[in-house]
Amino acid sequence: MLFSEIYSAYFNAVAAIITEALQGELTVKRIDEIIREQAFSESVLSIMPALKNGEWAVLDKDFQTPIKRVPKMPLTTLQRRWLKAISLDPRVCLFGVSPVGLDGIEPLFTSDDFVFFDRYTDSDPFADENYIVRFKTIVTAMREKRHLQIEYRNRQGRLMHGRFIPYRLEYSSKDDKFRLETAGGSYAAYINLKRIERCELLEEYVDERLIAPKRRNASVLFTLKNERNALERVMLHFSDCRKETRRLDNGMYDVKLWYEAQDESEILVRILSFGPMLRVTAPDSFISLIKNRISMQESL
Amino acid sequence: MAYSELIKDVSRIRIYMREFFVYGFKSRDEVGPKSLRSYDNEKRRIESWLGNFMSFRQDSSGKAVFLSVDSRHIPYNPLYKAWKAASFTKNDIGLHFILLDILADGKPRSLTELLEVIDGEYLSSLDYTEPIDESTLRKKLKEYTDEGLLLTVKSGKQYLYALPTDSVELQSWRDAVAFFSEGCPLGVVGSFILDKYKAPTPTIFSFKHRYVVFALDNGILLDLLAAIHAHQNVELELAADRHGGRKQGLIAPLKIYISTQGGRQYLAAYGAGKKKITFFRLDAIAKVTPGETEPEYNAFQDLLKAEQPYIWGVSCGQYRLEHIEMVLAVDPKDVHIIHRLEREKRCGSVRQTAEKEWRFTADVYDAGELIPWLRTFIGRISSLTCSNKKVERQFWADFAALTEMYKGGGNAV
Repeated sequence: MLFSEIYSAYFNAVAAIITEALQGELTVKRIDEIIREQAFSESVLSIMPALKNGEWAVLDKDFQTPIKRVPKMPLTTLQRRWLKAISLDPRVCLFGVSPVGLDGIEPLFTSDDFVFFDRYTDSDPFADENYIVRFKTIVTAMREKRHLQIEYRNRQGRLMHGRFIPYRLEYSSKDDKFRLETAGGSYAAYINLKRIERCELLEEYVDERLIAPKRRNASVLFTLKNERNALERVMLHFSDCRKETRRLDNGMYDVKLWYEAQDESEILVRILSFGPMLRVTAPDSFISLIKNRISMQESL
Repeated sequence: MAYSELIKDVSRIRIYMREFFVYGFKSRDEVGPKSLRSYDNEKRRIESWLGNFMSFRQDSSGKAVFLSVDSRHIPYNPLYKAWKAASFTKNDIGLHFILLDILADGKPRSLTELLEVIDGEYLSSLDYTEPIDESTLRKKLKEYTDEGLLLTVKSGKQYLYALPTDSVELQSWRDAVAFFSEGCPLGVVGSFILDKYKAPTPTIFSFKHRYVVFALDNGILLDLLAAIHAHQNVELELAADRHGGRKQGLIAPLKIYISTQGGRQYLAAYGAGKKKITFFRLDAIAKVTPGETEPEYNAFQDLLKAEQPYIWGVSCGQYRLEHIEMVLAVDPKDVHIIHRLEREKRCGSVRQTAEKEWRFTADVYDAGELIPWLRTFIGRISSLTCSNKKVERQFWADFAALTEMYKGGGNAV
């Protein structure tokens, strides 16, 4: 069963509290901290009294516990089946997982259960040995806080190279691709993993150098006309972005959408896909992009 | 009933979270199917779970609550928290920790032995606790056996209960679980596994084009997958509006269609009544009730497989093939347009017809589904023809409206 208390934030918090009680270091302050870390902002109002008055039979009023061992829950059937499903995913070879313990388990799903009908078809070569080595090298660099020397081809096919601090491996489900986001420069820079030709571990960097890359943020404001179910389609389509919507009169809505400046072309295309249901009202530079596309079309 | 931040099921909170997250402009009396008090309680719960992401705005139509999340810059899906808020009784939590503790020594025990140990070694050391009765323990043991947390061993005439031996090397899975809990369907199960690691998992991954809202449909998805694997028919209850839910007759669930660009997931099913492939939005399904095994299940799967090359998205239209052709004027320096055509063409085909001319063609059941995609090539379309003339007319009428909007000086959207 998916919705069960055995996976709940409360059970996780209480497991952590029992663990500390067994070490004999439990205080009210510490219980409070654990609840705030593991559960929700109001959970302390429920968990603290239930523990203090012994209602849950895991702690007495002196914070002693009758539990003898650090709580450990075996994997449930649901969790095992999910791991088995993951073990069959083509991307799993990037991670070097151990298949031990999953023999004879029925996968929770297989790739045959799903159709990602609008996913791009030029996905990364997840099974390619060189790709796997590069992926693992990047993960190692992130774990060990090391610089990377990377050689890659840019969009124009030119061979580039540089020394980078790896920050995040960014995956896009639409593209079915990984990109490496790097830190250390003035702004975030991204390198497609598929375009990396060589990747070498260098020396460690000091922790302070790993500053989250600055992102060039941009926003666009558009008015939406709720015809042909546009409101729902637009709201869901852009629900991967930060947005704010205000209702106007007569079935119209103002939407402000935030994005990274380097994604401007992508956002332009996404807005264009809704045709006359959306009218961009700011900034002028974005309006010019649309006008330019219209002019190009008129001239054909 | 007194307010609690925990809930018995996710069906109602799913509606509110979706409203706050996807829309975020509706006022108190517009959200959800129930009373204003329900609204206040659900809002308080969501605020308790997701306070960091919650914002408020006051305007003439009232106070609007919204969840504002840039899914690209958060390591974990915050909406999974809804799945970690199941309510429980004091016996549920007490027995959970006590049973797992007793059986951690590896020795299988009978129900009677467990009762004795629980009472003699655990509850007796605490003030104010009530004894656990046999029926409560029996139910809990069955529940945990069904979940795979316990296994039973027959010894003579009685069953003994034991913990399963966990040979999965979970440490080797850590990065994979961190990735797949966000990068694959039913990721919430991965999120449950991540909670098992003592230290927080370091953030290595981020996710672009991630629809965190899919988290709310994980329960429905799991029920549908179970029916798909069992070749069972199901009865769907479609989402309730203010007038209640709607039942959909028996259907055979076949596959899950996921849009990586539109934020929507669908069930492809064979409808016994309509006798054809039909698609249902997962977020519109309130409940899945499994029925009998479908004897014709494989034939329905074969039918979907045969139809698939003619389905652009999630529509079979009138099951009449429509031919569509788009010719693009592409300068050789704009090679990215050709790359786009190649990777986005789905069931269509692309070929170069002149030095600066590329032709996309497709035969599909519902050419109208292509219109949003075709619009993304505005600026380069030298011709567009479709056997369904309505599609052609719609496309060019929309383009005319767009032109008027931006170049005609009109204010209308």
